[in-house]
Amino acid sequence: MADFLHTFVTGSLDLLVRVFVIVVPIMVVLELFEGSRPFSALLRAWSRLVGPLGLTQETASPTLIGFLFGLAYGGGVIIRDTERHGLGRRQVFLMSVFLSMVHAIVEDGLVLVAVGASALWVFGFRTVWAIAVTAVLGAAATAFARRRRPS
Amino acid sequence: MAESALVDPSSPNLPPIDAPPPDAPPPDGPPTPWATVRRDVHVGVRSGLHTFWILARAMIPAYLLALILKELGVIDWLAHVAGPVTSLLGLPGDAAVPLALAYILNLYAAVGAMQALSLSAQQITVLALAILIGHNLIVEGAVLRRTGMNALFFTALRVVAGLSCAAAANLIMNAV
Repeated sequence: MADFLHTFVTGSLDLLVRVFVIVVPIMVVLELFEGSRPFSALLRAWSRLVGPLGLTQETASPTLIGFLFGLAYGGGVIIRDTERHGLGRRQVFLMSVFLSMVHAIVEDGLVLVAVGASALWVFGFRTVWAIAVTAVLGAAATAFARRRRPS
Repeated sequence: MAESALVDPSSPNLPPIDAPPPDAPPPDGPPTPWATVRRDVHVGVRSGLHTFWILARAMIPAYLLALILKELGVIDWLAHVAGPVTSLLGLPGDAAVPLALAYILNLYAAVGAMQALSLSAQQITVLALAILIGHNLIVEGAVLRRTGMNALFFTALRVVAGLSCAAAANLIMNAV
């Protein structure tokens, strides 16, 4: 029991410190750059890129953060944006599907490449896979919504 | 600086705005760039602390649950159950151990267990795909739930689609 408590306390503190030192800088950087000229260019490129998947410009920040740093951090930005200006349920669903398939390429991806996984597969194939799964589940969700609410 | 896009006065979690609103310039000229940066940093820190608090409240109970599941032997059981699945991925039966560790605990536990196995380059890549998509399921599921999504659905999605991705990669690599 003492061992268990020790693991829980040290593990929790570790988790809290990690989340803190990542989330606070992310939010500051987003605040500084959102609305700037390079960010607007990114938003335009983003909507062109993910438009076919049914994602809109407002999904750019959460998806970018989740893709680079991790699902929990992308989730944090989703929560922030939902509280700030509201995000459609469909947008949150599509983002969550995409990020479930590919996230944290900076940290997790590099760790696995460091122990011998192929970078091409870990980054390239996984991203292609994520796009395919998002497209399929997006279409499935549309069909499902139509069946429940026939127009 | 399009502050109007950032500052929605109706939003509940924003701090009081100490700089004047962009559409009403102060009597002594527009805000200096330094004032804008200071305001952005202030809003960012507030927003970061708020998000940190939300994430912490979701993650810590989930982490406790993951540790309890580990104590109850769920990882060993999962590794046992996942044994047959590994052959579909062209992996040895032992590879179920890192898989189970990834699902319940995290990526680092899984990578540690992977090191103990002797795997080919292709097997490392295949196993990497499965655990990169599905890991830390309980803690990250708690965060997804907080965004309003169904955590169970996304947990199942990450396991099933992660294993499918790994299987697809293995088939393609075998073919070429």
